[in-house]
Amino acid sequence: MKKWIAVLLVSMMAITACSSGGNNNEGAAEGGSADKLVVWAWDANFNVKAMNLAKEAYQAENSGVEIEVIENAQNDIIQRLNTGLSSGTTRGLPNIVLIEDYRAQSFLQAYPDMFEPIGDSFQASDFAEYKLGPTSVDGEQYGLPFDSGVAGLFVRTDYLEEAGYTADDLQNITWDDYIEIGTKVKEATGKDWITLDPNDLGILRMMIQSAGSWYVQEDGKTADLKDNAALKEAFEVYKKMMDANIVRIHSDWSQYVANYNSGEVASVPTGNWFTSSITAAEDQSGKWAIVPVPRLANNDSVNATNLGGSSWYVLNVPGKEQAADFLGKTFGSDVDLYQKLVEEISAIGTYMPAAEGEAYKAPNEFFGGQNVISDFATWTNEIPNVNYGMNTYAIEDILVVEMQSYLGGKSVDQALADAQAQADTQIK
Amino acid sequence: MNIKARTNAISWSFIALAVIMICIFYFYPMVRALMLSFQSGTGTNLSYVGLDNYARLLTDSTFRTALFNTFIYLIIQVPVMIILAIFISVLLNDPKLKFKGFFRTAIFLPAVTSLVAYSIIFKYLFAGDGLVNSLLMNLHIIQTPIQWITDPLWAKVTIIIAITWRWTGYNMIFYLSALQNIDNSIYEAARIDGANAFTQFTKITVPLLKPIILFTSITSTIGTLQLFDEVMNITQGGPGNATMSLSQYIYYLSFRYTPDFGYAATVSYAIVILIVIFSVIQFRLAGDRK
Repeated sequence: MKKWIAVLLVSMMAITACSSGGNNNEGAAEGGSADKLVVWAWDANFNVKAMNLAKEAYQAENSGVEIEVIENAQNDIIQRLNTGLSSGTTRGLPNIVLIEDYRAQSFLQAYPDMFEPIGDSFQASDFAEYKLGPTSVDGEQYGLPFDSGVAGLFVRTDYLEEAGYTADDLQNITWDDYIEIGTKVKEATGKDWITLDPNDLGILRMMIQSAGSWYVQEDGKTADLKDNAALKEAFEVYKKMMDANIVRIHSDWSQYVANYNSGEVASVPTGNWFTSSITAAEDQSGKWAIVPVPRLANNDSVNATNLGGSSWYVLNVPGKEQAADFLGKTFGSDVDLYQKLVEEISAIGTYMPAAEGEAYKAPNEFFGGQNVISDFATWTNEIPNVNYGMNTYAIEDILVVEMQSYLGGKSVDQALADAQAQADTQIK
Repeated sequence: MNIKARTNAISWSFIALAVIMICIFYFYPMVRALMLSFQSGTGTNLSYVGLDNYARLLTDSTFRTALFNTFIYLIIQVPVMIILAIFISVLLNDPKLKFKGFFRTAIFLPAVTSLVAYSIIFKYLFAGDGLVNSLLMNLHIIQTPIQWITDPLWAKVTIIIAITWRWTGYNMIFYLSALQNIDNSIYEAARIDGANAFTQFTKITVPLLKPIILFTSITSTIGTLQLFDEVMNITQGGPGNATMSLSQYIYYLSFRYTPDFGYAATVSYAIVILIVIFSVIQFRLAGDRK
């Protein structure tokens, strides 16, 4: 008898520990209300600064509106939104929130009615087309497109020279060329060509989007892994890179940045938002260039793609009209604001009229006088539009495992077929 | 109302508050979680799907990997830790030992550190160019750095080293207090009868420690099944999902992927069932039949 009581107590401890992962609301202290707009964003040097610039611009004309920008880590925002929205109460939620494009559909479709359509407060057609898919549902615009995730290939020109190349040799190349050049650079300098995190397949996402393909089909729901030609080639390129012995492995963000700032690694294909991390190593000024990302050789692929990027959303809480007005008059139409974003934080928006401004044409000394902003803005317009769907990270976690099996000897077709089978059971 | 009924009523009123609280905060969430495990959908769009979630559990290879990983941790880490804890506590219980207080504090200290803080420190210690690799290479024990975090096998080893470091001292304290309750005259009698130190340990110390061994192995088993902080912070479940634990999978299902709280609740019930099974087995093995 005593034994069973003990077992019962033990299992009770376990159940409560398991089920307590639910709701830890922060109370109503910062809840949305009509007289104050609360904004959640991550990255103090980028998104939060951008929002503060917008706030200054708006308050210059609407002095009565109080706006509070709160910085949270992106993972915390996701978790707090999920707990808040699924509990059915809007207490403690902000008026405006920043959501990564890959995750946007997940929120918009999992919590319909909780987000406010804001298509009336700005011209959606003024924004880069590829940003409109992730930010809308059934033709209704929910998000105001913010930063461009337009990608470029950042490369050390001094290492290239040692191997007998210049940045011009890297214009509009394929990934195979990229690996070949990397091998030469490694031979000449002993430096690794690229650093990768086996848990983060961002480079695969860049490759397949450049070919207009994604982990899911155009409906955003059906997993598209088996027989996905672009994904198959991306897998093969990834393996070639590993086999060429030009890859350094890192396991977190700080190691990633450190690999470049210490001069140990010579190139990085990534989103433009990485610029500020590269320029943080001031001693490397003049030694970097940015060229278009490589393309896939055997697929209909362009030398332009996207990595990351996010947009602003208005929650369906009191103050939503004010919030929509604020976004519309700042990020939705203010060309001057976009010039400031470029000058002060090198943030490239996706508002097309802004590209005509002066700040977009200024050369950047760190990159040897290259007009990096205007280059990025040009590439932005070439990025193929894909539907990210709502399961990007769930599928990617499956692919991470299959990638390891593929590197370990499984055939690529088998790896993708296995991934497809798993994704089909997981996504409904 | 006779006296007996009155005493009964008074006794019940004393425990009523506790009973009500337990019902609200333990049993109600348990029942709700069980109901949730029969539903599926994204976010708030949940609908009843019967046993679909449990069927999905059986075909879910990520769940299977997480379960396998958890078992590996369990089978290797718990015995290693328990044996280590007993060993250390017996050493520290030696009446002739000097600086006893210092050693006890030193070995218990890891248990008071924050889970997240120590995980992050371990992550840097075991990084590719971290202290552990530099040390081993400078001592010429290894030629090339070990990929502690990014190799599937070594990543598991790293996690096991980390949790052993964190929890051995905690378990040691239980053994130490139990050892102090063993009457010294038993050992004296054994010595007079000619028992050597090893015999004393196996025939006296271990049997008398049995209730504590049972307690610590059950709490450690539960702790391992609920392993989260270390994996999340040191390896994030990687490489691939080579170190993913069940609790981390629950977190991912709820907060990393498009939320499916129903299926996440199903996985947590799978943990519950496992814990019940393990506890019964351990009680049986310990022979505590009454």
